[in-house]
Amino acid sequence: MAAVGVDIEPGAWLVWHPVRQPCGPAEQFVAGRRAVAAALTAAGSADRVVPRESDGRPRFPRGFAGSISHTGRVAVAVVVPGAAAVGVDVESAAITPRVSEFVLRERERRTLLAQYSARELFAAKEAAFKALCAIGTLGEFLFWQIELRQSEDVLIASYRGASVPVWVRSEAELSLAVAVSR
Amino acid sequence: MPDQAPAVRERIRALLVDMHGADSFVSAVPDAVSLREAGVSSTSLVSLLVAMEDAFGFEWQDDVRPEALRSISSLAQHVVAVRG
Repeated sequence: MAAVGVDIEPGAWLVWHPVRQPCGPAEQFVAGRRAVAAALTAAGSADRVVPRESDGRPRFPRGFAGSISHTGRVAVAVVVPGAAAVGVDVESAAITPRVSEFVLRERERRTLLAQYSARELFAAKEAAFKALCAIGTLGEFLFWQIELRQSEDVLIASYRGASVPVWVRSEAELSLAVAVSR
Repeated sequence: MPDQAPAVRERIRALLVDMHGADSFVSAVPDAVSLREAGVSSTSLVSLLVAMEDAFGFEWQDDVRPEALRSISSLAQHVVAVRG
C-alpha cells in the first residue's frame, strides 16, 4: 500500500488497500478505513480517524476533505487538503445496456459513450454524487439524476445549479472517478 | 384485498439473492435496513431496480423519492403503491 499524488488534481492523495477474504461488507469497511488513514497521513493530517455520520457517510477531519470507495476486492481513499468536498468511486462490475440506459440520459449516451465506457460514466456520477452531497445544500437526490457533459479534458457533473469537475481513469478491470469541489 | 407487501418483499429478496448468490450477506439483510449501508453496491442497487421493472411490470419514474429505494421494505411499499 502506498499513498500517491494523483495526476488529476494537484494536492490530492490517493491510497488503495486490498480487501481481505471473505471480502464481505465488514472486510470492505476495514479496507476503506485503512486506506483513508494512510491517505490522511500522506496529506499531513494529524487526525486519521474518520467516524461515521448518522447517515453512514464518513466524517473527515476539518480541512481534509476526502472520500472512500470500494469494490469487493479493493478499497480506495482520496484526500484533498483545502477542498470543499471530494467524491471518489471505483467500479469493477460490468454495466449492462439496461443499467446504462437507466443511469445515463439519452444525450449522455449519445455524446459521451464514444469517449467513455458506461462503467466510467457510472463511476463519474457516483463520485460527483458524493462530492455534491458533501456540499450539503442540495437536499436528497439520486446519483443518476446528475447530468454529465464534457468540457475540454474533464467531465462536468451538474445538479440543480451546482457543478463539480470529475476525472475518470480506467485500468484493467477497474474504473476510478474522482470529483473535487474547490 | 390481502396484504401484497410480504410477497413483494420476498420477491425482491429473491432478486437480490439471484444477483449475489445464496451464500451472500443479502439473504440475511433485514427488510427495514438500508441496502446501501448493509453493503449493497450502487451497481447492484441499480441492477435490482432494473430487475424489479421486469418482475413487477412497471417503470421507475425520474422523480422517485430516494427514501423509496432505501430498503427491501420501502421498495415493496413503492411496488404495492404503483400497482394500486
